Amino acid sequence: MLKKNGLLKELVTNRILFLMLLPALIFFLINSYVPMVGVYYAFTRFDFNTSLFNSQFVGLDNFKFLWQSGVLARLTLNTIGYNIVFILLGNVLAIALAILLSELRLQWFKKLTQSIMFLPYFVSFVILSVIVYNIFNYESGFLNSTLKSFGMESVDVYNTPWVWIFLIIIFYLWKNIGYSMVIYLASITGISEEYYEAAKIDGANIFQRIWYITVPMLKTTFVMLLLFALGSIMKGQFDLFYQLIGNNGVLYNTTDILDTYVYRSLKVTFDIGMSTAAGLYQSLFGFVLIMTVNYIIKKINDEYALF
Amino acid sequence: MTKKAVKTVTMFLSIIMFISVLAACGSNNNGNSGNTATNAPKETEGTTNEGTEKPGIDTSKKVELQFYMLGDAPKDIASIQEQVNKMALEDLNATVKFNYTSWTDWDQKYKLLLGSGQQVDLIFTAEWTQYQSYAKKGAFQPLDKILPVAAPTLNAYVPADMWEAVKIDGQIFTVPATYKEYVTNGFVWREDLREKYNLPKPVDVATFEQYLDGIKKNEPTMTPLSMNSDVKTNLMDVYKSIAHTPIGALPYGIEVDYKTPSDVTSYWGSDVQKEDLVTMKRWQDNGYMVKNVLAVKDTLQDQVTSGRAAALLGDNPTRFNDMVIKIQATHPDWKLGYHPFPLTNGIATPVHPIHNGFAIPASSKNAERALAFYEKMVTDKRYNLLTQYGVEGKNYEIKDGYYSMLGDSNSNGFSREGMNGWAWRNPEFMLFDKNYDGVKAIFDELDKIQTPDKFTGFAEDYTAYQAERAALEQVEKQYLFPLNAGLVKNVDDGLATFMEKANQAGLEKIQAEYTKQWLAYVEAQGIK
Repeated sequence: MLKKNGLLKELVTNRILFLMLLPALIFFLINSYVPMVGVYYAFTRFDFNTSLFNSQFVGLDNFKFLWQSGVLARLTLNTIGYNIVFILLGNVLAIALAILLSELRLQWFKKLTQSIMFLPYFVSFVILSVIVYNIFNYESGFLNSTLKSFGMESVDVYNTPWVWIFLIIIFYLWKNIGYSMVIYLASITGISEEYYEAAKIDGANIFQRIWYITVPMLKTTFVMLLLFALGSIMKGQFDLFYQLIGNNGVLYNTTDILDTYVYRSLKVTFDIGMSTAAGLYQSLFGFVLIMTVNYIIKKINDEYALF
Repeated sequence: MTKKAVKTVTMFLSIIMFISVLAACGSNNNGNSGNTATNAPKETEGTTNEGTEKPGIDTSKKVELQFYMLGDAPKDIASIQEQVNKMALEDLNATVKFNYTSWTDWDQKYKLLLGSGQQVDLIFTAEWTQYQSYAKKGAFQPLDKILPVAAPTLNAYVPADMWEAVKIDGQIFTVPATYKEYVTNGFVWREDLREKYNLPKPVDVATFEQYLDGIKKNEPTMTPLSMNSDVKTNLMDVYKSIAHTPIGALPYGIEVDYKTPSDVTSYWGSDVQKEDLVTMKRWQDNGYMVKNVLAVKDTLQDQVTSGRAAALLGDNPTRFNDMVIKIQATHPDWKLGYHPFPLTNGIATPVHPIHNGFAIPASSKNAERALAFYEKMVTDKRYNLLTQYGVEGKNYEIKDGYYSMLGDSNSNGFSREGMNGWAWRNPEFMLFDKNYDGVKAIFDELDKIQTPDKFTGFAEDYTAYQAERAALEQVEKQYLFPLNAGLVKNVDDGLATFMEKANQAGLEKIQAEYTKQWLAYVEAQGIK
């Protein structure tokens, strides 16, 4: 009873604040929560002539295609593996570069470097795939032309699966590092100069200042970005994989992720039930993952957890 | 930063985070259920239409029809739509909105248009948009009953055998186009280079290979064969259609010979396939195709018209003609040669009536009016010419009976068949470009040896094996495409691996079910 009063009182006293919150709540209700009813598609046989809830219930039949060819484990592993590398390597490199840039004193050089690193972020993946093809194709690619002019043998990159693990990671970093670097750069700027001055007076050298002041101060940003990234660990980077690999089945063992697999399957089989099933699998997996990680972080340090 | 500030930022971000996770869960379905009501017709009360020519249907209410076509709209679409609407409002008390899907991901959009319950009154159909499967699954409204009422002229205009041919399970779901054309394949090659190096004229696989070899030896910087990553459709299906005599491009490695429709065999895993794959490997090893063919995204035609490649394994007469026109403008000293496959293998099938059509989706509330409007598009010369060629005097003119575009493709806002109006072509009103005479000549030649299409009328129902089908598609891409492109060193081992994976994905079940359906179809239609 008391509690109910409390809530009501809260609503009354802060009514203006709640009113301001209302548009956002409605927005998400309409755009995110109501459409979630469609999840039910994953368990029905789609029919053009009946409504969703009158369709035939088929249980987990729509999920069957995911494991039918026995590749679900490999796909999940590839997806998570790539994303973990993307997240860790991406963040660590971004932090390193952000620190380097922040220590630069030459303003114009700093701005220029920052812009140049940021630019690839705007290159579309379609264009990237053309660039990559022109570098690596066997007959007339830049790489092989160069090798030939040195009298060396051509390499057939497009038929060598293991190379692509590195290529994909490299191109991902090339494209995204500038973006996350800017975020870190912003939080470094937010660190008060006083800490550094105090450290200087105490005789700390530049490496010590970075290690004992900058890095710990970036920890919150890092953890937050990490948790953000984890939520989409089962999706993400469809464009990158789809554009670079496309129809090249030779490379699928090392480069196929859930998104590309689902896209290819359902491009031929027009079935809304199956697409929803695939999406649901990804979402649920992502949800479980983020809950777990958040729980672990909460155990270690309550301050950093998201909720 | 103080602890409190950290906490605030964390809270704020966590709210966004939480919401976006939920949004991510929901977003998969936006496309399915989100836009149900967006395009509902504006049904305003109109005045009763006096003196209407159509006593059969009720036109008292004004409606807006949603018309959907694939591809991109011409620049002048707005003014054309206005002029059409002026006539339609008078004739049928209806207006129409012409919508285009653009070619990007058209198949996804098409699926959503039919599946979302959105109001669509007329939509393009073809065998390559899976008309048969959609019709079988109930995506379109049966037209048998409304045709005589709403569109008697159209009903009489389209020959009875064509209505018969588009029937799925005994019902009509689409209005077929009556224009007869051939989209059979034929070798395309650089004739000037053939003359220069005195190479044989490609008429079958052996001579084609000799031509490729001659190009490889004499033009080391040129790729003999134009190919891209879709090796299934562009390489194997075409190769099979000249090397063998299949009834059509059957899926799942099933093989049916044109002459014996009721003999079904498995092409995958057979000695014939092994032989074909060995040929592909030879082409690859000899450098007739580029090594990274699976990563090539250019169209086949572009590779030839730009001079990078010398020959196409197969293309249809109309597209071949387009290439000729393009080359005349850019490289007048080049020449292209063409040899239709039917002249070699004797299978000259004109397009099946299913190839171009318009259907009324299940979601339409104005089926009668839509059909009456479509009748106007096809049989009324005013509508037809306007929507096929634009405005006479502004977009085109008629010179000696030939169509002639005014200005060029950049300045002219409506090129010939600018609305992609393949389906509502009316042979009686059709205007041709002078360049098209080449195609007509080929068609005339094929008319002499014309044979019926025995395959396209078949409607596959894959409900029973759609999980297997999706899984098999993957296996095919991963293990068969590299074999097709000749990239696997040991063909025997590669084929064995593919067959093992395919069987694991459920190939046998698919083949058995497909065969059963096919044989039932052959039996029911009396196809021999």
